[in-house]
Amino acid sequence: MVIVVLTALAFDFTNGFHDTANAMATSIATKALSPKAAVTLCAVLNLVGAFLSVEVALTVTTAVIRIQNPDGSLRPELLADGGFNILLILLAGLAGAIIWNILTWLWGLPSSSSHALFGGLVGATIAGLGFDQVKWLGEGAHLDGVIGKVVLPALASPFIALVVSAIGTKLVFWVTREVATRYRETGFRWGQIGTASLMSLSHGTNDAQKTMGMVTLALLACGEWTDLHSIPLWVKVACALAIAAGTYIGGWRIIRTMGHGLVSVSSPQGMVAEASSAAVILTSSQLGFALSTTHVATGSILGTGIGIGAKVRWEVAVRMVVAWLTTLPLAGLVGAALYGIGRLIGGPPGAAAVFLVMAAAAGYMYWHSRKDKISHENVADIDWDDDEDDEPWPVAAAAGPDDDLAEDEAALVAVGALGRDPREAD
Amino acid sequence: MEQLLAALDASWRVLLVGTLLGAGLPVLFSLGVKSVAWGVGGEAEQHLRGVVPKPHLAGRLLAYLIFTLVVLIVLAGIGFIAAHGLGWTISFDAAGLKFSHK
Repeated sequence: MVIVVLTALAFDFTNGFHDTANAMATSIATKALSPKAAVTLCAVLNLVGAFLSVEVALTVTTAVIRIQNPDGSLRPELLADGGFNILLILLAGLAGAIIWNILTWLWGLPSSSSHALFGGLVGATIAGLGFDQVKWLGEGAHLDGVIGKVVLPALASPFIALVVSAIGTKLVFWVTREVATRYRETGFRWGQIGTASLMSLSHGTNDAQKTMGMVTLALLACGEWTDLHSIPLWVKVACALAIAAGTYIGGWRIIRTMGHGLVSVSSPQGMVAEASSAAVILTSSQLGFALSTTHVATGSILGTGIGIGAKVRWEVAVRMVVAWLTTLPLAGLVGAALYGIGRLIGGPPGAAAVFLVMAAAAGYMYWHSRKDKISHENVADIDWDDDEDDEPWPVAAAAGPDDDLAEDEAALVAVGALGRDPREAD
Repeated sequence: MEQLLAALDASWRVLLVGTLLGAGLPVLFSLGVKSVAWGVGGEAEQHLRGVVPKPHLAGRLLAYLIFTLVVLIVLAGIGFIAAHGLGWTISFDAAGLKFSHK
């Protein structure tokens, strides 16, 4: 129980640092904000956002798995063993999501934290309850299930964002064509700060909620909490703090990829990217077609490049898309494997084992990352092209959507080599 | 199949509203930047050597107006997020804004 809560908070933390880039990458890249100021602003707004969302997020799992009734309560037949199986599924799902989040961070790839969470849960559910307990497809025209809530939005979001921001960029540059470049840059930096703040706030309201829902679900499973219409205050505070802390630490690797890797953004482009991301995300969540912040932000940044015909590093974009496609199945695989381990050992020691495996994996990847540290000190200064010139990127992106773990390990090695390039360039 | 159609249906709506707000707001902002440049004159505008553009008061006033509008729209956006988080839904229809509590 305590382990599940800790793991959920750890997931919230990785969610925070994974997604700082979505809101702040372009502001940092154009130096509208210093890296430290950007993450501080983003963290504060995430904290505020998390508290703003009092909407009960208990039904977080219902989109993809069948362990809850429509009103959010857990299905009674699953609670027969004191809720231990449910707890183990939640734990393995969260741990799988965390491992995938840290792995993609190590590669500097933005991938959707909610997809990782859904993937982990789906995997753990298949392992624990069987294939048919996963809700694959929604019924009728109501978007639901793995296909309706995860796959289709993921396919649509980058394109929508791309079109919006391409149109925006084209118009903005046309309007300001007679304004001196330097003056234009300064002016748009203010706009960037505003739109980036909007993104951070909406991220806090959306994503912190998911963890709050998971923690409360765990409390429900073991009977520590019975109210289906509210969330314990300490859960709210803990989740808000975890996501803000994660944001403040800053996923500098991902920020670098988003800010420099795809398109070298100028501040008008940055502002358009943030504005179109915020608009698309807010509109979509209002329409019940929730799109992943990560996918939208990436699409927007690509769009700003296309809008003015700037150089887009498509090889980076392709690698990201591969990461998106593999997020769900691979986080699922990790979730399932962890569930297996927990089940094999059984009881509280099993849960402890899952936690230890996750901690060990996280620790190893963190240690690995120290070899080529990217921090707030160098994030805005490393020129992406420096390390690209003499050493073309390894084509890790060749792996398809249905690649198995062995291929993925090969990709890890290949992309790991890429991660070391900046240091060599120094 | 129905799921696919539902997703397509949602997509074009998001695209439409997203374009209006997501591209519209920066364009409005850029009009502000453009008028402030016109208002300030001098080195803010691209100009030929020796022909320094004159400052225009109207440009600055127009810029302030536009920036105020942008700030208001952004504040409305924040209000929207906050209202949504507090369990309100806001929908647009012919009569204008409609607030309803869940």
